[in-house]
Amino acid sequence: MKTRVTLTVNGQVHDVEIAPHYLLSDVLRDVVGLTATHVGCEQGVCGACTVLVDDRPARACLTFAIQMEGHEITTLEGLRDDPVTQALQQAFHERHALQCGFCTPGFLVTLSAWLKEATDPTPAAVRDLLTGNLCRCTGYQNIVEAVLSVAATECGR
Amino acid sequence: MTRDIPDGYVGRPMLRREDGRLLQGRGRYVDDIRMPGVRHAAFVRSPHAHARIVSIDVRAALELAGVHAVVTGADLVGEVADAVVSPPIPGLVPTRFEVLPTRKIRFQGDLVACVIADDRYLAEEAAERVEVEYEILPAVTDMFVALADDAPKVDDRLASNRVVHRVHTHGRPDDQERDAAFVVETEFHQQRQSHVPLETRGCIASWDQGREHLTLVTGSQVPHPLRTQLVRRMGLRDGQVTVESPDVGGSFGQKIALYREELIICALARRLGTPIRWNEDRLENLQASCHAREQWCRTRIMADADGRILALTLDIVEDFGAYCFYPANYIAEVVGIILTGQYRVDHYRYDLTVALTNKCGVGPMRAPMAIASWVMDGTLDALARESGLDPIEIRRRNMLSAAQLPYDMPGGETLLDVNIDETMEAALEHIGHARLRADADTLHGCGICNVVESTTYGSRFYKNSGIGGSGHEAARIIVEPDGTVTGSVGLAASGHGYETAFAQVVGDGLGVSPDGVAIRLGHTDAAPYGMGSRGGRGGTAGGGALYECARMGQEHLLHIAAHMLGLNTARNLRMIDGRVEKLVDGAWRHAGVGIADIARLAYFDPLALPEGTRPGLEFYRTFDPPPMTFSNSTHACRVVIDRHTGQLTITDYVVVENCGAVINPLIVRGQQIGAVAMGISGTVLENMVYDAAGQNLSSTLGDYAIATACDIPMIRIHEKATPGSRTPLGLKGMAEGGVMGAIGAVANAVNDALAPLGVRASRLPLSPVYLHGLIHGHAISQH
Ligand code: FES
Ligand code: FES
Repeated sequence: MKTRVTLTVNGQVHDVEIAPHYLLSDVLRDVVGLTATHVGCEQGVCGACTVLVDDRPARACLTFAIQMEGHEITTLEGLRDDPVTQALQQAFHERHALQCGFCTPGFLVTLSAWLKEATDPTPAAVRDLLTGNLCRCTGYQNIVEAVLSVAATECGR
Repeated sequence: MTRDIPDGYVGRPMLRREDGRLLQGRGRYVDDIRMPGVRHAAFVRSPHAHARIVSIDVRAALELAGVHAVVTGADLVGEVADAVVSPPIPGLVPTRFEVLPTRKIRFQGDLVACVIADDRYLAEEAAERVEVEYEILPAVTDMFVALADDAPKVDDRLASNRVVHRVHTHGRPDDQERDAAFVVETEFHQQRQSHVPLETRGCIASWDQGREHLTLVTGSQVPHPLRTQLVRRMGLRDGQVTVESPDVGGSFGQKIALYREELIICALARRLGTPIRWNEDRLENLQASCHAREQWCRTRIMADADGRILALTLDIVEDFGAYCFYPANYIAEVVGIILTGQYRVDHYRYDLTVALTNKCGVGPMRAPMAIASWVMDGTLDALARESGLDPIEIRRRNMLSAAQLPYDMPGGETLLDVNIDETMEAALEHIGHARLRADADTLHGCGICNVVESTTYGSRFYKNSGIGGSGHEAARIIVEPDGTVTGSVGLAASGHGYETAFAQVVGDGLGVSPDGVAIRLGHTDAAPYGMGSRGGRGGTAGGGALYECARMGQEHLLHIAAHMLGLNTARNLRMIDGRVEKLVDGAWRHAGVGIADIARLAYFDPLALPEGTRPGLEFYRTFDPPPMTFSNSTHACRVVIDRHTGQLTITDYVVVENCGAVINPLIVRGQQIGAVAMGISGTVLENMVYDAAGQNLSSTLGDYAIATACDIPMIRIHEKATPGSRTPLGLKGMAEGGVMGAIGAVANAVNDALAPLGVRASRLPLSPVYLHGLIHGHAISQH
């Protein structure tokens, strides 16, 4: 049985009709129509589905959409004008920190939230944070370098 | 053949043009594509490893509103032909199997039925309502057990589970034993792994009833060969099928075969007349997509008192799982062919055995021959230990020098354009000579692995090895009426950066700026028929074809330009960045015409073209690479093992690589690091485990661990490149050697660390449990 739910995604209100067991990742992609949020496992491991719920990273594949009423959801599409995200995108581009790009939105969303709070990230701290996001292509090295380059300019601002 | 263009684009670390859309989340992966009226598929899969299908009751599933069809094997008989793998290779048993089993399932996760419904949730719910009665049969999950005479038969049509037995002999290896000062046998056991692209498989198939045309959108490495298989199995003609591979979230060899799921979706789209979508979930991907690498090797090396190799033999046994999507000899065969690398071996034999088991079928995974470098250098390390000789010195003594190349390898290929003698010395410099001592808490080791990577296989290789098929690649270049350029080639990208790199190649070949070059890939209607992306062939075969095609195009453009300039020859003309330049008094000067002017003539004013020149500007060219091209590298690493926990830490990692001329060093570097990371991940973490009953115990990414950012060390890469001598631009290919070297370097380093204890690790993964068991003298089972 489907019910009506009001979701706030990237500042926009969506009235959607969904079943209680629909995952947030599926609803964002198939109902709201935002496909930057990727699904790599539906097992809560890969991090490709990471979105912000009230500005904190969360796994959209482990969240039922129906639980999201009254919360603010932000996807990569909603970070288009966010300066930290833009700096990350530029650094990823310059350091070749993506190959197939399937994991990339999850990394960017996770990092955009983290960099706003991190004070002086070390390579070890960056790697530690990134254990929640899997990448099968890059071997992480260029991602770590890209993050550190952004941290050098963005952190503590 | 090297390029003669000053300041060309090839060789520059240009930033990737693919990145813009991917960084915004605007990529177009299969699951991002919306199609009106699409229906969704889910599969009913076997919970057992080996069972006869007694009955299937689909009534409860069909009762759900929104369920349109539930199809079993019996429904597809006569509609879709069996998969037949029967190349004429001595020692290879021909095999065939149905698209959807009618009588028996062969592994846990095997297909039983397919449900089509309005949405995915509903399709899955309906699939759960399909009732299947099974008669459970004994399962065989160990390849050695499978080879025993009384083993349960995985494929009832065959005489046994042994689908390959082949022996290749060069010289007289057995006769050398009497002269040998040392004879050493060494074992190597590589565990079952899987590719784990972050994007699982998936497809959308639609059938245009009016045009009788099938369109399959799917992430594929090989759109044209996939189409060939599809038309054969479905009884269609080539021109009736379009295969489109959009953005692909990684493939690593998993997206080559025509699997049964995609074929069933295509058949049902045709039958039902509606578009159908299927997205594999991660559970299906880990249980039932494609596995890889499960091989056991034993070498026997005979050497003289100085450590010079007199003879070498290799036995390989490989577990191929339940179904042969590929000729079952092919993966192990390449190990046998390239094993000896840049070492001189006069007497050699390899002996391949491949077994079917009740596990998921296997296929090539990034560096199918990955085990080879570990086996070769691990054998030399074992010889060093036995003889007391220095392991590096043994490598040096057996190494072929530049003067000895080309060299007819005992495996049958001709080795050339490699310089391991140089990469090894450089790697030793970079890793340093310090010998760290073991103490009460830690063991220290340093490992070296030399890699000869077979990168691009030409048609001659396939012919010689009896596999059949072609190694050529095809390129088409269109200079459009506005003077911009569209290039295409029969490859398909999944993170390779082809759109950027190939624009550089076309830019240099044609004499235009890459900015004005669009590259179209992965679409059977847009690209000419090519063999697709596999191995390290993309740059060499695809780049080579495009470069030669572009050169041909430039010649034609300059012929027209000469006419426009009133010259009777184009000899003193060239094109740079779309401008025609003329050699005047030893200096190149802009001649006043450009590619847009030429295009205008060719398309809209053909009577102004030179006599005998036809309108239009389209160029097509194929390129068949030499039988085999080789890159090489040396990997060196240092490890520390915690004696108390068995925990392994890689503290330094160096690669010195010779992959020839490179199109885009930024992209190449990314591929090198990615390959090493995949090799380390497979060496220390990944393990696809089945229990004795054939239940897959590694069906989530929690259970099947792949490397995270904390598992991969900083990788230092240095180049010692020499160009390929027989390919356009001196390209050789790369992207797999990193996997080969990582396995060997890490495993050799671990064994160096363990040497003082008199034990040796012969199995992967090098997990803490396994290493702890070795250190403390009690071998604990990995599982
Ligand atoms: S899809 Fe959510 S963690 Fe992988
Ligand atoms: S870039 Fe492919 S998974 Fe990260």
